[in-house]
Amino acid sequence: MGEQWMFYFDPNRCIGCHACSVACKQRHDRDADADEWRSVFHVSTGEYPEFEEVPVSMSCMHCHDAPCESVCPPDAIIKRDEDGIVTVDRDRCIGCHYCAWACPFGAPTYDDEGLMSKCNLCLGEGAGGGHGQPERKTPEEGGVQPACVSDCVGDAIKAGPQSEVMAEASDRAAERFEDGAYDQRVIVEPVDDDAAVAEAIREGESTAGAVTYEG
Amino acid sequence: MDPLTAPLEFAIALESGLVGQSAVDHYWLSADYWDLSIPLYLFLAVVAGGGVLTGATAPVLARLLGSADGRLEGELARWGFLVGVVSAAGAGLAVLSHLAVILRAVLFPIYLTNFESWITIGTWILVGLSVIATVCLVFRLFGAKAAAAEGASLFPRAIVGKLGLLELADRLVDRFRPPAVVMGGLYAAGSLLAIATIYTGFELSIVETVPLWNMPVAVPLAFLFSGLAAGIGLTVGLTLVFERRLEPIIGAYAAMVGLLSGLGLAAVWYGWSVLTASDAPAAAASQVALTNGTLAAGSWLVVFGLAVASVVGLLVGALALTGRSGDGTDRLAGPALIGSFGLLLLGSLALRIILLLAAEQNPVVVVG
Ligand code: SF4
Ligand code: SF4
Repeated sequence: MGEQWMFYFDPNRCIGCHACSVACKQRHDRDADADEWRSVFHVSTGEYPEFEEVPVSMSCMHCHDAPCESVCPPDAIIKRDEDGIVTVDRDRCIGCHYCAWACPFGAPTYDDEGLMSKCNLCLGEGAGGGHGQPERKTPEEGGVQPACVSDCVGDAIKAGPQSEVMAEASDRAAERFEDGAYDQRVIVEPVDDDAAVAEAIREGESTAGAVTYEG
Repeated sequence: MDPLTAPLEFAIALESGLVGQSAVDHYWLSADYWDLSIPLYLFLAVVAGGGVLTGATAPVLARLLGSADGRLEGELARWGFLVGVVSAAGAGLAVLSHLAVILRAVLFPIYLTNFESWITIGTWILVGLSVIATVCLVFRLFGAKAAAAEGASLFPRAIVGKLGLLELADRLVDRFRPPAVVMGGLYAAGSLLAIATIYTGFELSIVETVPLWNMPVAVPLAFLFSGLAAGIGLTVGLTLVFERRLEPIIGAYAAMVGLLSGLGLAAVWYGWSVLTASDAPAAAASQVALTNGTLAAGSWLVVFGLAVASVVGLLVGALALTGRSGDGTDRLAGPALIGSFGLLLLGSLALRIILLLAAEQNPVVVVG
């Protein structure tokens, strides 16, 4: 059994530009008006005057426990042993939409035929494209980078085998993940408040968002 | 703003202290909507169970109650199996109409291979129930004994007679009629499958993202009790329309409907208390949706339908069982039973509809 691939997301670095969702549509040759496999939301937090909008980018997280897989009656959804990527065999899907209810991230989408399709971590291209593909390779091993990862202007999205993604996450994000945040289905950086950013800059832990004065 | 999600957006605004701001858009992940064919399927599958349960238990109850009247027992059994066959067929058509690739679902022994999924398990239960209901109905409708019987539930014989096949059907059924012990086995299996229609509740209650459904005790029990009550009530109602006599066997079934309706109401009440105590924003949204706007009427229909059927069923059932019903009470009690069981059917269907329309997913949004 290979290592589980997973996504990482840093809301502090996401600028809500939608480059990821557009890149996804292009890579998989999907119509502009088709439902998105990766969507960007703008989530409101806080109360006036502290009110702000946080951009969030989400897709299928290829959950380790894949609730969609266990409800799918014809076994059309497959959690792959070799890399943990969750793929769809559209030749078995009956279009019951049960997976849409079971998925905690709203990932499954349905096309005009009524069949399910979703992110396949760019294991293949197009709807159902990842099904039956050989084990996922990292870019270092010659595999392609997922389109959302390579086109993210703020480096807010990462994807790869769990150990590699964890190595790039901050200590706080890794700790939260170990503690069961998001049911360990995705690694997410905690949103920094101003004090935390200031603290990180003082400690030399972060340069992201640091203010530089050039004279 | 979509009228269906309006209460939801309000509830979230309330939860997040954002009332008055328009900043609640996209906090939510709306699930792909299931259309009204799904609540109809969830309803009819259990109603079929109620019909089969009545048909299968009628001979036992008749013997237990020392009912001298074989006609009433025969009518109850035939109407019961008819309700089973028609409702199961309706449930099957309703669920098929929702699917994208019907052929794959029709070939379910080949395609539905995931026995962890309640849809797969439910398909086998519903198919098993339909087969048993059909076999039992055929043995009740045809043969020498049926030919000598009387009652409105024998109407399919007239249809088969019009096709010129009645004699053949009677002969075949008498020739292949299994021994009583095999029929007893079929009745027992039918009764078990009728109770197994509780799966319709599990189909919803395992969905962890929807707090309104994710109640592994309340939802399955509410579906089972209210659906069986509706199926038995429909069978008793049909029998009473044509046989206006409140014999003890009718009383027994009326009391059963009353008891099941009461238990259904208790399960609904328990589910409501769990929902209102939940901290999940989606639970608050569902609560608001169930009590405001058009769905509130549906919520009241559920409560009213179950409560009235419970009171009338138990009261008339007790009268008929204790032999206190006379000509006067018969005239009143019969229509009261039929009316209250009609209301029960509507309330039981409304329960499934509002549970679908008020369902909201918990927002799992990776905001850090
Ligand atoms: S995110 Fe949804 S679709 Fe993807 S694996 Fe998890 S449950 Fe399945
Ligand atoms: S819609 Fe297709 S993929 Fe989703 S649960 Fe139903 S059969 Fe499986």
